[in-house]
Amino acid sequence: MPDWKAEIRAQLATLRLTPERELELVEELEAHLDDLYRESLAGGATPERARQAALAALAAPLPLAGGLRPLRQAQSPARVVPGAPSRGALGDLWQDVRYGLRGLRARPGFTAAAVLTLALGIGANTAIFSVVNAVLLQRLPVRDSERVAHVVLEGGGVLSYPEYADLRDQQAVFDGFAAWGGIVASLTEGGEAQLVQGLIVTGNYFELLGVRPALGRLLASSDDVTPGAHPVVVLDHAFWKSRFGARPDVIGSDLRLNGQRFTIVGVAPKHFSGTVIGGRGSLYVPMMMQAVMRPPRAGYSGEMDPDLLKRRNSRWLTGLGRLKAGQTLERAKAEMTALASRIEETAPEDGRRTLPVRMAVVAVDVGDADQRAQLRSVATLLLAVVGAVLLLACANVANLLLSRAAARRREIAVRLALGASRPRLIRQLLTESVLLACAGGLSGLLLAALLLSAFAAASPPPGALPIAIDARLDPRVLLFTLAIALGAGLVFGLAPALTATRGTLVPVLKDESFVPDEQSRRFNLRGALVVAQVALSILLLVAAGLFLRNLREIQSVDPGFDTERLLQAQLPVNLLRYTTQQGREFYRRVVEETRALPGVEAAGVARVTLLGGGGRTSSLHIEGRQGPTGRFQSEGGRIAARATDQVASNVVGPGFFRALGTALRAGRELDERDVEGAPLAAVVSDAFCDLHFKGLPRERVLGQRLSLSGPEGPWREIVGVVSDSKYATLTEEPLPVVFLPLGQRHETGVVLYVRATGNPAMLVPAVREVVRRLEPNLPLPELRTLSETVSASTWAARTGVALLGSFALLALALAAIGVYGVTSFQVAQRTREIGVRMALGARGADVLRMVIGGGMRLVGFGVAVGLLLALLAGRSIESLLYGVSGRDPLTLGAVPLLLGAVALAACLVAARRATKLDPLVALRSR
Amino acid sequence: MTDIGGRALDRELKKGSAELLILSLLEARPRHGYEVSKLIDSRSGGRLRFHIASLYPLLYRLEERGWVEGRWVEKPGERRRRFYRLTRDGRRVLAAQRDNWREFVAAVARVTGAKHA
Repeated sequence: MPDWKAEIRAQLATLRLTPERELELVEELEAHLDDLYRESLAGGATPERARQAALAALAAPLPLAGGLRPLRQAQSPARVVPGAPSRGALGDLWQDVRYGLRGLRARPGFTAAAVLTLALGIGANTAIFSVVNAVLLQRLPVRDSERVAHVVLEGGGVLSYPEYADLRDQQAVFDGFAAWGGIVASLTEGGEAQLVQGLIVTGNYFELLGVRPALGRLLASSDDVTPGAHPVVVLDHAFWKSRFGARPDVIGSDLRLNGQRFTIVGVAPKHFSGTVIGGRGSLYVPMMMQAVMRPPRAGYSGEMDPDLLKRRNSRWLTGLGRLKAGQTLERAKAEMTALASRIEETAPEDGRRTLPVRMAVVAVDVGDADQRAQLRSVATLLLAVVGAVLLLACANVANLLLSRAAARRREIAVRLALGASRPRLIRQLLTESVLLACAGGLSGLLLAALLLSAFAAASPPPGALPIAIDARLDPRVLLFTLAIALGAGLVFGLAPALTATRGTLVPVLKDESFVPDEQSRRFNLRGALVVAQVALSILLLVAAGLFLRNLREIQSVDPGFDTERLLQAQLPVNLLRYTTQQGREFYRRVVEETRALPGVEAAGVARVTLLGGGGRTSSLHIEGRQGPTGRFQSEGGRIAARATDQVASNVVGPGFFRALGTALRAGRELDERDVEGAPLAAVVSDAFCDLHFKGLPRERVLGQRLSLSGPEGPWREIVGVVSDSKYATLTEEPLPVVFLPLGQRHETGVVLYVRATGNPAMLVPAVREVVRRLEPNLPLPELRTLSETVSASTWAARTGVALLGSFALLALALAAIGVYGVTSFQVAQRTREIGVRMALGARGADVLRMVIGGGMRLVGFGVAVGLLLALLAGRSIESLLYGVSGRDPLTLGAVPLLLGAVALAACLVAARRATKLDPLVALRSR
Repeated sequence: MTDIGGRALDRELKKGSAELLILSLLEARPRHGYEVSKLIDSRSGGRLRFHIASLYPLLYRLEERGWVEGRWVEKPGERRRRFYRLTRDGRRVLAAQRDNWREFVAAVARVTGAKHA
């Protein structure tokens, strides 16, 4: 039968028919011409004559188009949409949603796989974002938090109460000026003494912040009038829940702080814990009760006047102000500086500061700038990682959709032929994708909620994190989840929708085999997806590998003392107001009795908690050299390793170094000789000698003199040099430290270090008993083995590795699935070709090589791209690593091998099917 | 063949009766386009002939008016064909047009005195 299409089409060319209508007309007329042709042949005509006759019937006597033109179908194409007629945009959308839901329900396996993959990606993002939200994005839960600011000295110095009072009375920048300080107290409430932290605040503190109590009332100006006359306390909300079981009847009941009875008058609002982001205190007491409370770090013996409110040079308070309308932080800073200088000029001689005063006015939402910078880099890293995981998940789902679209070719082609418009069809496919994404988003939220509650339950050990994290699913997090779910739906749905609705209709309708033009096409969507997946996996695996090596490095650091057998116990004697004599006696007896315990090898006390993150810094003068003009001492700040005018210091009792196991390099340790009245002595560390006495042999350092109390002395003689040991953190460089004898420099709070012959944890009850026997009023000391302290300081690194490792493995699994998917798709596509090759003599191994080659080529591209990205990104995370380069060759070499092996396995599994093909079946397949 | 004047008359007459012809042929059972044209040719003894260019536009017009309904029918081993059948409206129109035609023919016969064949 001749082909009439061209001639018929030519006749219809001048009409404006839709392709579908034209198709139908062509087919109808073809049938007619076939019949004419047959009739002519039957009448004895030659095939050529018959063909001419048929064509003549088509063309003459009038053109076909002329008759058809007046008809409606040649004017405006009829649009037929399957199902109900179009009901406008919203009606269509609802129709799409119902159709999409039906389709998803009909393929439960596909739907489950896609939703699970998306849930993992979206859930991880939600969990991480809620933590980031809690740490970096939260504002303080106070009224108009952006107008509230801390007022301190530039460089971090704090205020004394008289200074605060002067500023408060004379300032004109703030609508209300309050102050607060941190306190530590011994809390007794029905039984044992417990150490608690809290805030001591002026009467206008809560009023300035504009917060409302959760229960009862908050502290007011009426509680801040007469020193010692307001024994009231407000509980922190979380403390009220944990310690008092959230009982409403706590209002009005009593508790004892440092031996004094206080009445509970209220509970602070939920999520409020002071003006420092991430702070965590247990209670709030009025400033006028300061004599009973005291700052945790102040040297505080029984001989001293407990009342700090009158002492101009006892500085321990942070100012808090609410900016007046129209004021800016810069102007406030300038005005407060000017005011403070004026006040200094008229201040009494002994209270004056030695250095010029420069104030700093810092918005409370900003917090500690350095800490925030580091938190920001960690947050960025984590968000980038989970973002990559989500992209991987999207790529997998996109591949799933592509496969499904390939199976729905016929359905889509029929709908297009029936008159559905392509944009409408694309919109419908996108609706399906968004439905999937929403299902994945909901499941992801559930997953995130589970993860967060697990995180809250397995809370980090104290001291592991610099701030408390209160991550929850608040509205911002929910909005974030919705946004990424919708975004993901569009991302993974758009490309498959576009490609599915493209392509020629008639071959598909006639069920001809899918022309393998996908391979010859330049841009192969599936292949590109797999390359992207592999690249992202490489990136994540490298990141995880780097942090793993980082952890190893940290764990292999030698702290310089024996962590395995050491126990440490805080003895906050300053809470008891011992006199110096009483304090010394107490220390002596504690150490003596502890040494007498079975299983104890040595014991000693020291001022600074090792590996506590901070320590004491003092001004340094070496005899015969130039030094700073003043003297200073600060606690808890950052230690500068290379400064020459200041030094880290510690005050230690006899036997301290032996207890720690620190080696002596020269001279002697500090011991019982070094008491009041004896020549002033000091011991220094190796790093101190290297910095200040470079090139001098250790023995020559002995005898040199230094002063930590200013350029006038008193001068101490260096009597010994000890080897370096870690002071504040595990990852610090060797630090110059000066050790002073406790007997010559009394401290009102020390840490007891006990060295055990065996497991130090066994000694805990015995040591606790010794302390309790000697002083029952001392709150039970926090007893930890040093290895617990070390592991607390590595908690963050270990958790980071666990997180990154899990994400990286998840990424690897997703990428392997992607490789498997694309390889099996290729096998399915090339079934006929494989059949031909096998029929022509190819063996199983050759086919295997061909299929695997295709898959691994994609993997190779991905690895190259991934390594490039990893090299670029490596530099940016170096700041978080210790001892490991961002371009560590070991990691960069091992990761591609690992991924290559896994990808190869995936290819093999997919390719095995190809080798099992019967060539005859393959040749016959469509 | 008739002369020119006759050809014009033919055309006019055909135009007026074309719809009636097709509707009546579809009355018995559904038929496809070729079948209709063949029937018209054979039953009229070759006197009436519908070309493709006249037949199909007419069928589509009847379809647009809703008097006939076209449906694709696929038989195994053959290409599919479009069959047309009368709708209910179409039957009503056919009956009306038949009556009109009879009256018209009778009227013309009375006027011209020609005997009704």
